[in-house]
Amino acid sequence: MISFAPGNLRVPKWTRPVYMVAAGTTDFRKRYPEKKLEELCMMAFRMLLEENDLKLDPLEVKGLFNLACYGEFADHFQDQLLCEAKVHDYLGLDPLPNVGIKTGGATGGSAMLMGATTVASGMSDCTLVLGWERMDEVKTWTGNYYIATAACKDFETRLGRIYASYYAPMARRFQEMYGVDERVRAAIAVKNRGYACHSPFSQQPGRHTIEDVLAGNIVSDPLRFLECCAMSVGSSAAILCSEELAHTLTDHPVKLYIAGGSHTLRTGDRRPMRIPLLPHETEEDYRQLYADMEKQDGRWPGFESFGATRFAAYMAYRMAGVQVPIEDLDLVETHDAFTISDLQTYGDVGLTLYGREQDYVTSGDCYHANPHTGRPGQCPSNLSGGLLGTMHAVGATGIFQCGEVFWQLQGKYDKFHGEPAMWTRFGKTKPADWSSLQVEDPRRGLAISHAGVGSHVTCAVLEKAW
Amino acid sequence: MADKVKLVSGPSTIHARGDVWVVELPRFGPEGTHYHTYGLLTPYFKGLADGRLLGTRCTNTGCPIGRGAGELWLPPRADCPDCHQPMVWDEVKAPAGYIYAYTYVERGGTGLEIECPYYQIDVKIEGVYTIVKSYLADRAPIKIGDRVRAKFRTGAEATHTALDLYFELTQ
Repeated sequence: MISFAPGNLRVPKWTRPVYMVAAGTTDFRKRYPEKKLEELCMMAFRMLLEENDLKLDPLEVKGLFNLACYGEFADHFQDQLLCEAKVHDYLGLDPLPNVGIKTGGATGGSAMLMGATTVASGMSDCTLVLGWERMDEVKTWTGNYYIATAACKDFETRLGRIYASYYAPMARRFQEMYGVDERVRAAIAVKNRGYACHSPFSQQPGRHTIEDVLAGNIVSDPLRFLECCAMSVGSSAAILCSEELAHTLTDHPVKLYIAGGSHTLRTGDRRPMRIPLLPHETEEDYRQLYADMEKQDGRWPGFESFGATRFAAYMAYRMAGVQVPIEDLDLVETHDAFTISDLQTYGDVGLTLYGREQDYVTSGDCYHANPHTGRPGQCPSNLSGGLLGTMHAVGATGIFQCGEVFWQLQGKYDKFHGEPAMWTRFGKTKPADWSSLQVEDPRRGLAISHAGVGSHVTCAVLEKAW
Repeated sequence: MADKVKLVSGPSTIHARGDVWVVELPRFGPEGTHYHTYGLLTPYFKGLADGRLLGTRCTNTGCPIGRGAGELWLPPRADCPDCHQPMVWDEVKAPAGYIYAYTYVERGGTGLEIECPYYQIDVKIEGVYTIVKSYLADRAPIKIGDRVRAKFRTGAEATHTALDLYFELTQ
């Protein structure tokens, strides 16, 4: 058992608030030979400056930048050290300072976190956050080898050179502990890949059924093909700035709160601890869970949950004043690299209690339209299509998720997903049965960026500020 | 497909540098090899090659968590994360336990040395605090809770890597 010292639980107190005023992205593809990496970054950068209805001209906005935070997951995929310098130069931002940020799958979220602190501290009034990944230079199975180097080199990597094999035991244990029906995991794949059908940015949209998912090939048992995200190429970007600048740049600024957490690289090394409670939870809520865990030799967070996600949410909710997540949040983007990580996250972020994640999904609250009632779901998740359906160009992912939440809060889902020209830009045709996934008048949204088997996680709360 | 899982690689090349082992991790031929040290954890890998499973525990009476009788860590650590003092080695005798979690790997990435398919297992070993990731020699269907015992690749069979520890079902 380990415990936190009071000092470790200090809630971050920024010197000044941080705003997000623009988002930009490329589409995402498994292979993208048409463009070089820096050319893809330019696509995201131009959308950022030119298409967010900013009140200054693109080059005037560019003239406000003080600093750039870049997200890139893996040097070995790009086979280029200091890729940040190449991109920075290509975007015409020299000699402004830039830093590269790297925390595995949470790289994009960490770039947002670090970007936010540059504004919160006064270091910068206007910070560019931009991330990318190019995973198509190597064959998929070598890509899997590269990603599996995110497992422990001395004690784990040789036991599985495909990262799904590190999530699969968690899925197995979660299933055993909470009696999860595999159809629930399959439903998550169906939902998120289905939402991807409405996004011009999406890499693997699909109208699948639960039966399709369950009939798929096993990648690492029990995870099947459609339950796992794919190698991805693309770039996403955001502008973070001070309050004063936010109102100069847009009539629809969004306030950003973001915090992080981390936990062991090796799942089995996680020591048991008491659950850090979110504002709406009490010890009594988990009395039965602790008792049940004891019976099954379980431990929190164990293999079932992510301590880093809970820690990040613990901080971010207190920063943002989120009291009851299911009531205070109107949409959420989870890091659904695998169906199981989506399911696990609902307990970590307190949309439901630990142990009831399965019930939360079957309740229909995580859908745009609750399949039981046809009415809007209470807190739809991964309307972007998520990692399963739309993208996981790793260094871009956490930024892309914040961008999708940002556009939702601005009421611009249709502008960025429904314009036929946006589809033709990426060589696609807008589907005849396209429908809007705009949430009705959302006020607050959440984005979770997640690495390893939960080694690094950021939790961003975005809030409408006009 | 044989009943038992095999390795498709031979032994890794090891260089002794004083007390520690430096293992070769070839990327692209001899010129592209990484020389990776096991550092203070070398006794663990030497132990495997001798058929012994060694963990570490904190015996510092001033440690806020272990208080002189810390739990056994496996994988081992040279230093205690709670008090930062050196840990001491301790052998797990006749290591056995049960399957805490598992997956059946149908296909691994480039460079995988274990013949697919195989069970990657997380084992709760009696007397060990952490849960150890390893692989199972058997391909028979398994479930959480199944009893297993540790096996070792020793002598000429030793790979000098974490693959020297594996498990088999206890009949």
